[in-house]
Amino acid sequence: MEELFTYYDMFATKGVEYLIILAFLIVILAFWKFVNMKPH
Amino acid sequence: MAGEKLETVEIVKEKGESPNIKNLGDFWNFLKKELVPRGHIATPFNIISLPIMLLGYVFIVLRLAYGLGKPVTNLNQEYPWGLWIGFDVVTGVAFAGGAYVLCFIVYVLRAEKYHPIIRATVLNGFLAYLFYAGAIVLDIGRWWNIYNPMIGNNFGVNAVMFLVAWHFFLYMLAALVEFSPTIAEWLGMKRLRKILGAMTLGAVIFGITLSTLHQSGLGALMMMAKSKIHPLWYTDFIPILYFVSSIFAGLSLVIFEGSISHKVFGHQLDEAHHKHYDDILVGLARICAVTMFGYLFLKAILLVHEHAVPYLNSAMGFWYLFEVIGFILIPCLMFISGAQQKNTATIKFAAILTMVGIILNRLNYTFIVYNWYVPLSEKYWPAPMELIITASIILTEVWVFRWMVNRMPVLRKPPAWAIEKH
Repeated sequence: MEELFTYYDMFATKGVEYLIILAFLIVILAFWKFVNMKPH
Repeated sequence: MAGEKLETVEIVKEKGESPNIKNLGDFWNFLKKELVPRGHIATPFNIISLPIMLLGYVFIVLRLAYGLGKPVTNLNQEYPWGLWIGFDVVTGVAFAGGAYVLCFIVYVLRAEKYHPIIRATVLNGFLAYLFYAGAIVLDIGRWWNIYNPMIGNNFGVNAVMFLVAWHFFLYMLAALVEFSPTIAEWLGMKRLRKILGAMTLGAVIFGITLSTLHQSGLGALMMMAKSKIHPLWYTDFIPILYFVSSIFAGLSLVIFEGSISHKVFGHQLDEAHHKHYDDILVGLARICAVTMFGYLFLKAILLVHEHAVPYLNSAMGFWYLFEVIGFILIPCLMFISGAQQKNTATIKFAAILTMVGIILNRLNYTFIVYNWYVPLSEKYWPAPMELIITASIILTEVWVFRWMVNRMPVLRKPPAWAIEKH
């Protein structure tokens, strides 16, 4: 039977993951203000 | 003055002030009276739903007597999980998540704005667990052994199902305790109401703790099928995705169910409730939007983390994007727009889209992208009897919900003696 398990280096993508997390932390503040903005 | 007195008498009569139950006989007589249908019986909803429910009960008996396979279900060794586990249990429990989220908002964060809808939400959550999680009986091959995890006959402490079984059981008890003051008010049991009211906060905290664990526990269940679930959906973080998505799934159901209740049981609500209802919807829409925004980022990180980006340019990839863009990103934007414009129609439509997205997501895990490499002709599709049984479970829950709302102070104000003085 063919082995279906594939191994990935879980640290290989950590650079991009950090960038996405940083982007999230920055954008969430603006997003929260935007959501609570009163209509003109 | 005389007019005022007359009005007070009318209100007391209309609210059917507390029954005087002193013994079991009184309770039985009261219950018999309450079981009598009120209003018109031959409504379009009743005429359509009753035959479906009765047919469903017959099929349930057939399934319990003759087993899980054909003709009742299309389940087989390749597809052990179908519509019942995918929709009734996994999706139903995500939708019931509204109860723990709203309890956290009202009882822990003390956002009193949402208090008017807490009882209906807790009742909905309790009934969802009772019926949908209860439907797990139908999914277990040897259903007569369902009590084994409770009595210690092969506890199976390493199994995710052990955690799920105990959590469902304990959460049902916690939700019952959370809702029990309403039952005590209905029965006019003042002393019991006081005791149960004092237990509410403890039950709420216990319930929230359990919910965070078993919402993610259901995701952990999917991790057993690593080689069978498409890499775009499979990740070691499925439990976190299930937990986060249960927040906006549950709140979307609160918006949807609340809007229907608002129309159907509108006569039970006071003017203040009617007035603030739009504000409640706007608040819930904001919470949904922020949670969905976080969920989208989580999805993006996991796509990179699982090296799944190349799969996006395939048929399965388009299906994945359809789910994420169509039922997460678009409703998220609609929630924002609805909250900013205070447009409840947009919010309600976004809630419906979100619910469809959650159903799609959970069914993806259980049978659509499960065994994704199997040709379409060999894939599992629910049998007609499975669909009717699912419909009958949902309709039974709706009937019970309607019966309880029409008799207990769920939407209407509690009796004067039960209103706590602060």
